[in-house]
Amino acid sequence: MVAIVIGGIILLSGNSNRNSMGSDGKNVEIRDGVQYITIDARGGYSPNVSTAKAGIPSKLIVSTNGTYDCSAALVIRSANYQEVLPPTGQTEIDIGTPKAGEPLRGTCGMGMYNFVVNFD
Amino acid sequence: MLKIHLFHVTGTHCPSCKILIEDILQEQNLIDQVTVDLKNETIAVVTKNEQDTNELMQSLGALIKPNGYSLSLEKLAVENKNNDIIWQALPIGLAFLVLFFLLQKSGVLNFGIGGTATPTTSFVIGLVASVSSCLAIVGGLILSISAKISQDNISDKKTIVLFHFGRLAGFAILGGLLGLLGEIIGINFTVSAILGLLASLVMILLGLNLVGILSKNKVTLPAGIFKFFRRIEHQTFAPLLVGLGTFFLPCGFTQSMQIAALSSGSFITGSLIMFSFALGTFPVLAMLSFGSASLAHSKFAPLFFKTAGVVVIGLGTFALLGGLTGLGIIRPLFNI
Repeated sequence: MVAIVIGGIILLSGNSNRNSMGSDGKNVEIRDGVQYITIDARGGYSPNVSTAKAGIPSKLIVSTNGTYDCSAALVIRSANYQEVLPPTGQTEIDIGTPKAGEPLRGTCGMGMYNFVVNFD
Repeated sequence: MLKIHLFHVTGTHCPSCKILIEDILQEQNLIDQVTVDLKNETIAVVTKNEQDTNELMQSLGALIKPNGYSLSLEKLAVENKNNDIIWQALPIGLAFLVLFFLLQKSGVLNFGIGGTATPTTSFVIGLVASVSSCLAIVGGLILSISAKISQDNISDKKTIVLFHFGRLAGFAILGGLLGLLGEIIGINFTVSAILGLLASLVMILLGLNLVGILSKNKVTLPAGIFKFFRRIEHQTFAPLLVGLGTFFLPCGFTQSMQIAALSSGSFITGSLIMFSFALGTFPVLAMLSFGSASLAHSKFAPLFFKTAGVVVIGLGTFALLGGLTGLGIIRPLFNI
């Protein structure tokens, strides 16, 4: 019994690395002076941590693909955004011009999935 | 020649135990009268003829043993026994919780479901949702309430049937209304998050009660909610209402389906989508509720109540922290 619990904890902590892998900027793109940050939503958000530039008008693109779970119920408090995303598609969210050191935090409605975009 | 015998009894965990034991023993020919005193955990038996007390204890004890009760002449040290049970219940409950979170972590449930929502896909999504993290709230609530009413109330099966009926009918009607009226009964995140917080608090309180930390005599302590549940659980209306209320509990899958029902623009389609979804969640939820009811009347009852308590406290805490995160009150603590 103890072995199961310990095994579970190891697995849990091991697995969390997969989700918490930071982006290397691949999901951030600047086109025509607008910064687009793309987040995939299904069974959580990936990348979990992104880094983008501050001081540029920015838009968040949340991409769903057969997503019905909690990650479809997206809440971004700082952008005053609360919507259920379409199961499949791309949702563009205007997040204004981010300031350095003020990360953007998103979570799902029940709070068990989340992501953060850092601006520097 | 009437004779009175007095026995001590263990395993009487609920008010209905009195009725059950008295019913079983009353059927015996040699017995004139049986009175169970739950408070002192004693049974007074009046026999029609002269009986050896020890023999009587053996024969009567055998009759109620299958229901998890035992008789003795001396009062047993029950405290120790209860402590032993919690040490069995704790690892079993934790193992369930670990398995549940491993299942969420595994990503098995994250396969995409393409296409538009039809009753068939809704049913499949319901099946997935019933073992997803939504189980933490809806399932946890059902488990805690079912275990609690089984502990308190002998007509638990009726209550559970009413709950499921309320849920299925409620989803069909509210889904239809979503399709018909659209945004008017729109889904508000904050309202559902607050309901989720309430549900998780109820779960934690009932869980503590099941584990025995909040003993039966002290349940008046967190007055409001407990009183409410104690008062309404015997009525017909309450389980129906709670079943219907699960429509508004926070669950990503439920919310996605509500959007699908909403955009269908028709009462019948919306109703079918939500009903099929609820039907998909039914097997797991039915297993949880009817399973608890039958375990609650078996000899494993004390272990079951404590194990259910541990599981419910774990799920309730998870839902509570998640709800606070969703409302932006606390920073995310976990990302499963």
